[in-house]
Amino acid sequence: MFKNYIVSALRNILKNRLYAFINIVGLALGMAVYVFGTVLVDYEKNHDRHFSNVDRIYTPNSLFSPSANIGMRSADTVYAAFGDHVRVGMPELEGIARVRREEFLFSVGEKDFYQDIRFTDPDFTKIFDLNYLAGDHSVLLNPSMLIITESVATRFFGSDDAVGQTIMLDHELAVTVGAVVEDLPANSHFNSSLLGETDFAVVANFKALNSLRGYDPATDWTDISLGNRTYILIPDDKDSAWLEAGLQNLYEQHYSDDRKEFVSGIGIEPLTRANTYLWEATGIPLLTSVSILALLVLVVACVNYTNLATAQSLGRAREVGLRRTLGAERRQLLIQFLSESLVIAMIAMFLALVLLELLIPVFNTSLGKIVELDFSRIVPWLALTVLVVGLASGGYPSYLITRTDPIQALRDGKTGGGAGNFLRSGMIGLQFVIAIFMVAIVMVMYFQNQRVKQTISLFPSEQILVLERLNVEAIEPRLETLRTELKRLPGVANVSYTNQVPFNQSNRTFDAGTTPGDASKTFGMNRVRVDHDFLATFDIPLVAGRDLSREVAQDEVSGPTLPANVLLNELATSQLGFDEPGDAVGSVFFRFGTDGSSQQFTIVGVVEDQNFLGLHNNVKPFMFYVDADRYYGAVRLSPDNINQTIREIEAVWDRVIPDYPMQSKFLDEGFEQVYVIFRSINIALSGFAVLALSLALIGLFGLAAFMAEQRTREIGIRRVLGASVPQLVRLLIWQFSKPVMWALIFALPLAYFSSNLYLNVFSDRIDSPSTVIVIAGLIGVVMAWLIVAVHANWVARTNPIKALRYE
Amino acid sequence: MLKLHNLSKVYQTDEVETVALDNVNIEIESGEFVAIMGPSGCGKSTLLNIVGMLDSPSSGDYIFMDENVAGYPESKLSNIRKQNIGFIFQSFNLIDELTVEENIELALLYHNIPASERRERVARVMDKVGIAHRAKHMPSQLSGGQQQRVAVARAVVGDQAMILADEPTGNLDSAHGQEVMEMLQSLNAEGTTIVMVTHSPAHADYARRTINLFDGHVVTENLRAAV
Repeated sequence: MFKNYIVSALRNILKNRLYAFINIVGLALGMAVYVFGTVLVDYEKNHDRHFSNVDRIYTPNSLFSPSANIGMRSADTVYAAFGDHVRVGMPELEGIARVRREEFLFSVGEKDFYQDIRFTDPDFTKIFDLNYLAGDHSVLLNPSMLIITESVATRFFGSDDAVGQTIMLDHELAVTVGAVVEDLPANSHFNSSLLGETDFAVVANFKALNSLRGYDPATDWTDISLGNRTYILIPDDKDSAWLEAGLQNLYEQHYSDDRKEFVSGIGIEPLTRANTYLWEATGIPLLTSVSILALLVLVVACVNYTNLATAQSLGRAREVGLRRTLGAERRQLLIQFLSESLVIAMIAMFLALVLLELLIPVFNTSLGKIVELDFSRIVPWLALTVLVVGLASGGYPSYLITRTDPIQALRDGKTGGGAGNFLRSGMIGLQFVIAIFMVAIVMVMYFQNQRVKQTISLFPSEQILVLERLNVEAIEPRLETLRTELKRLPGVANVSYTNQVPFNQSNRTFDAGTTPGDASKTFGMNRVRVDHDFLATFDIPLVAGRDLSREVAQDEVSGPTLPANVLLNELATSQLGFDEPGDAVGSVFFRFGTDGSSQQFTIVGVVEDQNFLGLHNNVKPFMFYVDADRYYGAVRLSPDNINQTIREIEAVWDRVIPDYPMQSKFLDEGFEQVYVIFRSINIALSGFAVLALSLALIGLFGLAAFMAEQRTREIGIRRVLGASVPQLVRLLIWQFSKPVMWALIFALPLAYFSSNLYLNVFSDRIDSPSTVIVIAGLIGVVMAWLIVAVHANWVARTNPIKALRYE
Repeated sequence: MLKLHNLSKVYQTDEVETVALDNVNIEIESGEFVAIMGPSGCGKSTLLNIVGMLDSPSSGDYIFMDENVAGYPESKLSNIRKQNIGFIFQSFNLIDELTVEENIELALLYHNIPASERRERVARVMDKVGIAHRAKHMPSQLSGGQQQRVAVARAVVGDQAMILADEPTGNLDSAHGQEVMEMLQSLNAEGTTIVMVTHSPAHADYARRTINLFDGHVVTENLRAAV
């Protein structure tokens, strides 16, 4: 019996090739998106499973108080100094390891490489089981030894036989390779492609960092940098609640009141979530969105199927009538029709999997992931999906067709019910709600991203070459020579050293106030260390006062508490209480240190409010002052012969600083590094939206084709009575416009509220998301009209006689 | 009224070429009542469709009210058709979803006539064919004869000069058939040209002239005195 069902299902599919094709392709696309979205989200949320302790490893994070105003809810790290308190305060812990990434120049023989080192506590190797190819975990106890990965060994030494080799760090400290470990897989948070982490490559003891750069984690109560996590291994008999309570307790004891104002508490995350933490912290619900959108696309595909199958089933009323007169029970017919939809769902799933097996490798290569369809795990879920899709989308048409009165069906081939029309319109409406909603969201994101992109033109980004990593003791004495030499080049207009360039997402703030000794009425002021050529290099206009000058001694900070002259932006002056920027010139204000110290600054110039951080940030109060902290060298080029100039700059660098490789990028490349996040979200969601809209349009076309077939006679009559082709096209379009119009009523408000979720991430928002959303709605409607019009035109032109002569 | 000169119609499919009309010459005067008879497949309906401008001839001339419309594009034909020609079909061809009144009004809908005048004309023509008491009913609630009366009303509501009827009594019992024939006759008496295809010699007798077709040729033309 069941074989009979399958055979008749396959025959029916072959008989109605066009509808079957639309059905199966639509369903396959929907399933492919759904399966891929789900597998991808599962992949991102399940990193680090290869560590055997994965279920007992947690990372504490800092929850920011709302007044911290740094645009994030939390950071995946705590002050390094807190780690020591945890070690002492919770002796039950099996291990605790802080990690701090710092970049060094590695010299191996004649070759130089810049490379991140993860400095950590010895417990690191207890928490994470690394696979040692040579050496063992005891290496981490030795501050002059490194653990490196296989690929680093190959890069530096040409083979993984690297134990015992010597490496010079920053031309200063000789260290030895003590162990070589296997590379960690791509689905470790250490190598995460979501976070922009630097790959897991070199591990060393904190003591090495101490001897190189004098860093002591025990005293670090200042740095909360994303990615410098602390890893905790809890014992078997404890759980996360115990850990969280213990950490919160230690937080209460050891955080000073000032720090509590900034960090309002300590949370924990399991290691598996470390990879997706950034999205949760920034409040962009990326993975949830992917899950929801993938499901929505599947729903659109199912509705598509239901709709077409319902329409098509009307044409099979005669067959059903006949089967019933021959004695088929309703139940048997139901099973027959449901088998048919299950067969179609199965074929669609098969196609979807074939498609994914082809596309996932491409996806993996381009994004550095190792997503895979692990059939041993997902087969039950796939089968369930097929079952649910098959039953859900085939259920209604099966019910409808088997309800048919056999006598009526045999007499005129009709099922009688007009209720189907309403439901079909409802389903078309639902498809368009989803499609228009997605298109609207994607368009809002696009325009918002364009708005963000405009911030790049605040500065002459393409003409500024940024030299990086200048804060090396060996380089610093030569920077003035470098400046002089560079400025001699005809293509170089100016050179400025700073510790922060535009679009660099870093907030260094201090408490600023106007009343000496009164630290209560202060606000956080961003500060950037610059030199006297800063304004000229970046084209930042002065609105009042003067630029900083080498002629005035006080224009440079000469000590942490000594008074100095500074530049502010307009916002900073108004927050200090000045009505006009001009009024601020000559006035003084104070920096209040956390240790009770204060420093007096005199405002000598006020610059225009520019979005120095760019991108999604709002304009913040900024102070620019001259002090020696030179990480970046911004070289302003004249617009002509840029390539030639770059070669000349490289030549100058090699002459002045031959012992370090030049590291540079254009200012717009730095912008692009952050902007790419927003852009890739947009591109990914565009894919979903295009699919959803295409499916809705395919569905509409299929339905229009079917309905037109049902109305051939009516169209013929109208033609004979003198209706012109455009009049008929209008008639047919109108029939399908109603559900699409209804869809607008639901989709547009929905899109409006949802788009605000995205827009809230940005401070400079597009003025009228509603206009964009309405345009998206119009696009949906016009596309629907076009599809129906093309088809209706074709129908209306066919000769009416055939439809009218004999029934 | 109209004149067909050496008119032929050839249907071509991939393999077969079928000659439906072969060098037909017919002239129909204004105000005539003409019956077209012949066995199935002789080309009656093809002829009627060409006369009704629903189909175009393969060759030859079709002079309609002093205009050779043989090569006219569809839009022009459609315009002439809706001004001058009304249709009655064997299977009535009423739209199931519209009421009697609306079905009749449909013929005026494409003529740019104001709604008030449309209503007036529909009411008048419904009185004339005796269907006014069923104005709000759906076609499925009417008998065959009543449905055909609605179709007749629809065919004449636009003051068409000519009515083409394709076996108007084919689906009706004899009483209703006669009723429809009498209606056509009275329309003809008021000056409407009527061209009717029929199988029934009795009904053909209502016409003043009968044209017999066989295999696409005009075989005989019988003129008879007015009844």
